[in-house]
Amino acid sequence: MRDLSRRLKYFRRRDEAAHELDEEMRLHMELRAQQFEERGTTAEEAGFAARRQFGNRAAIEIAASEVWGWGWWERLAQDVRYAARSLGKTPGFAALAVATLAVGLGMNTAVFSIVNAVMLRSLPYPEPERLISLWEESPREARRNLTSSGTGLGAAPSRGRTTVAPANLMDYRKDTTAFEGLAGVDGSQMNLTGKGAPERLPGESVTANYFRVLGVGPQLGRTFTEAEDREGGDPVIVLSHRFWQRRLGGDTSILGQTVTMDSRAYRVIGVMPAGFEPVTQFQLTVPVEYFVPAAYSKELLSHHGDHEIGVVGRLKPGVTLRAAQAELDGVSAALAHQYPDSNRGLTAAMAPARDDIVRSVSDSLRALLAASGLIVLITCVNVANLLLVRAVARRHETSVRLALGAGRGRVMRAFLTESAMISAAGGAAGVLLGLVLMRVLVAAAPLSIPRLDTVSMDWRVFAVAAGIATATGLVFGLAPAWQSSRARPADSLKAAERRASGRAQSRWRGALTVTEMALSLVLMVGAGLFLKSFMNIIGMELGFRTDHVLAMNVNLPQLRYPTADRRLAFFQELEERVRALPGVQSVAYANRLPLRGGWGTGIQIEGVDSTGSFVPDSQAVSPGYFETLNISLSRGRLLTAEDCKGHPYVAVVNLAFARQYLQGSDPIGRRFRRGPTGMWFSIVGVVNDVRRGGKLKDINPQIYLPAAQTDGYPVRLADLAVRSAGEPRLLVNAIQQQVWAIDKDQPVTAVHTLDELISDSVADQRFQMLLLAVFAGVAVVLAMIGVFGVLSYSVNQRMNELGVRIALGASPAQILRLVMKQAGTLVAAGAAFGLLGSWVLTRFVGHLLFHVQAHDATTYAAAAGALAVVGVAAAMSPAMRGARVDPAVALREQ
Amino acid sequence: MLILKTLVRGGEMHGFEIAEAIRQHSEDVLQVEEGSLYPALQRMLMKGWLTGEWSKTGEGRRARYYQATPEGRRRLESELESYYRVARAIAQVLVAE
Repeated sequence: MRDLSRRLKYFRRRDEAAHELDEEMRLHMELRAQQFEERGTTAEEAGFAARRQFGNRAAIEIAASEVWGWGWWERLAQDVRYAARSLGKTPGFAALAVATLAVGLGMNTAVFSIVNAVMLRSLPYPEPERLISLWEESPREARRNLTSSGTGLGAAPSRGRTTVAPANLMDYRKDTTAFEGLAGVDGSQMNLTGKGAPERLPGESVTANYFRVLGVGPQLGRTFTEAEDREGGDPVIVLSHRFWQRRLGGDTSILGQTVTMDSRAYRVIGVMPAGFEPVTQFQLTVPVEYFVPAAYSKELLSHHGDHEIGVVGRLKPGVTLRAAQAELDGVSAALAHQYPDSNRGLTAAMAPARDDIVRSVSDSLRALLAASGLIVLITCVNVANLLLVRAVARRHETSVRLALGAGRGRVMRAFLTESAMISAAGGAAGVLLGLVLMRVLVAAAPLSIPRLDTVSMDWRVFAVAAGIATATGLVFGLAPAWQSSRARPADSLKAAERRASGRAQSRWRGALTVTEMALSLVLMVGAGLFLKSFMNIIGMELGFRTDHVLAMNVNLPQLRYPTADRRLAFFQELEERVRALPGVQSVAYANRLPLRGGWGTGIQIEGVDSTGSFVPDSQAVSPGYFETLNISLSRGRLLTAEDCKGHPYVAVVNLAFARQYLQGSDPIGRRFRRGPTGMWFSIVGVVNDVRRGGKLKDINPQIYLPAAQTDGYPVRLADLAVRSAGEPRLLVNAIQQQVWAIDKDQPVTAVHTLDELISDSVADQRFQMLLLAVFAGVAVVLAMIGVFGVLSYSVNQRMNELGVRIALGASPAQILRLVMKQAGTLVAAGAAFGLLGSWVLTRFVGHLLFHVQAHDATTYAAAAGALAVVGVAAAMSPAMRGARVDPAVALREQ
Repeated sequence: MLILKTLVRGGEMHGFEIAEAIRQHSEDVLQVEEGSLYPALQRMLMKGWLTGEWSKTGEGRRARYYQATPEGRRRLESELESYYRVARAIAQVLVAE
């Protein structure tokens, strides 16, 4: 500290100090010379002797001034000043280099900030690394990979993954010691009434230990007791901070009061703090507003086959995932033994909660991050290329510096300082650009990406951006610096040599350009694959029409509509009323409309061996359903108003049902039932296949049951669909009014047109495709700049040669061919390496593609073709210039 | 160490005097480039082991007179101690037959 203050003092008066030192040393030498003189040498000799004995005075001065400790800084400042001056002399070059870097870094920073927030940042709970998600896997599942903790266990949506049976959860809790707690959680939806307009709110039904497992306590009151979390326990509710503020005005006397949800009075016992994020929140776009006890029924807890809840757990400190998994495997085995019917082959699996939450998007985010990494590489190569041109142009200057005695290290440092300044400026501009791009990305990103609302730039984003900027500055600065420092002053001082020199540089530049084109081609192939994949998705036939159809959810609470008859009566009246509205063409109701979830039930088909279980998609639909969705009849008849309670149970199936369950034989007249004691349903018609789940989903066997016969199967009517003549959105208010005319406390929710739902269902793919297309576009532009730069430079260097050729009678066309041949070589090499790179890299995104092979030949060929066109286009202008060389001028220059 | 010892022994001295003193005491065995004295002096000034004051010599010339600070003396003691320890050790090794 004192040392520093002394140094600072010296820094301020360093001229004075140097002067003092000088005076001191002069005195020393004079005294010494005097001494020699006294011993009898001549004055001149005495002076020499004194100096000899003193040593190299300049070196000593430098050594002394280095003691003051600012030499290093002074040299740096000198380098920076020098670099700034030389960059200032070529503002075009500096701007191009900085802008290129800024684009690359900006894109990378924006993508990384999303990856950071979604995948890297810890969950907002205390000690989040101990939180795990637990699920169950059925026998079909391929071997899990426990070691790949980074990717999460469910990286690709796995067929065998199911939710957990509450009955099993109790056993996992009882028979393991690895966990501090395992909590059950399930999404819940209830109608809130009595506080303004009725509204359907998302919430969670959770076990009593849920909040303890997450490590978050209430802001007001308390959370659930074990007694409340039992069947028949008191109806109590914990509210979110938002609910409390927005609907109850932050009333602190709320504890003990009641709110009416689904026509039931719940006593408020607690309010959660503002920042609390419930675990199901990450999958939802609307806020979770309340928590109620799960209170699993005795029946549910005795059926090990009812998989319906999510489980979040907290490991005890120091317990590893592997150890916990081993314990769970033991419990799974015991359960399989004890309940072979439901649990044979069923295993509990788990992963860090954070990895599990983002598992649906982690692969595509990683692919995007890799793509943006390629962009950074390309920009680096491009800037390195620019710097090489510059280094060649400054060869003369460098030679002078070397000849005047500058050390090789010093020359390299000057170059590196320059590239460091470019990268620093590029990095800063990149972060700013990234900030903008990040906003754009977040706005454009599909809502299905969890935690998107938390995307921001934090220290990690800045650290990565700074790291990349520094690394690029060094990497792309090193090549030209190295090249220049090896310059032999004698050679390049000769003016004529300047032209012929730089063979090494042009090799470097050629290699860099090839690299750049290869990297661009990888991005183009990637973008092409995703584009093709997206086209496949868009081109997928749904089997029903989505235009002009409005869908909405009218979820009738159990307490007010306890029976199937009551619910049917409501929907029948609603159908009548809505049909009467102007602009309505047809109306349908069902338990769930396509694209909005559904229900599957196991069935037995008469006369078919039922060891293989049949689980078709099963829907309760009104007679108007097929017309409203435009699902066409293949054979037999559709459902009618006649198919109601008291009439024979009937059903309509789809073609896939006949294909997969009946080996293609005619289903009409066949019968099925839901279980040994269920009612028989006769199949009366066959309709064409639809992709119920959307364009990305497979066609499944389906049964359509009459909505008026829901007494025969456990389905609740909840969705209404309206086909309109004009814009369907315009009907929303009128329909809402009709609902309220029947029941003023009944909310209408999830109002969407089917077109919107289709669009949303492919939003992930569209986002990936668009982003990759933008990346590829930027890469192509950069590659063009690269090709253009190399050829322009090469044409400039070959001016003489071209002039001689023309003078000797070469036609402009021949010159053009000559230059284009050079371009062709570059492009061909770039394409070859690029295709090779694509071949290796695209395998990693294969599973993100829809009906496209990662090695799709057409896409590869198209991308390579596009690169060739781009290369030729970029080469055109330099080639033309070469062809127009005036031999007289070119030769005179020599 | 030599510079500090010389200053502790001789009080205030300027650069030439220090060089002369070291030369005389070492009976001309230790002869280095005299100039290298000055960076060393600068270093010790920076470390606070010495102070330097400008004043006039006997012949009326301006010179910087150096003096060891208490910190410098402490430093010298610890340096000497470790020097003697090493020297004794070397001597013992050499004496032991």
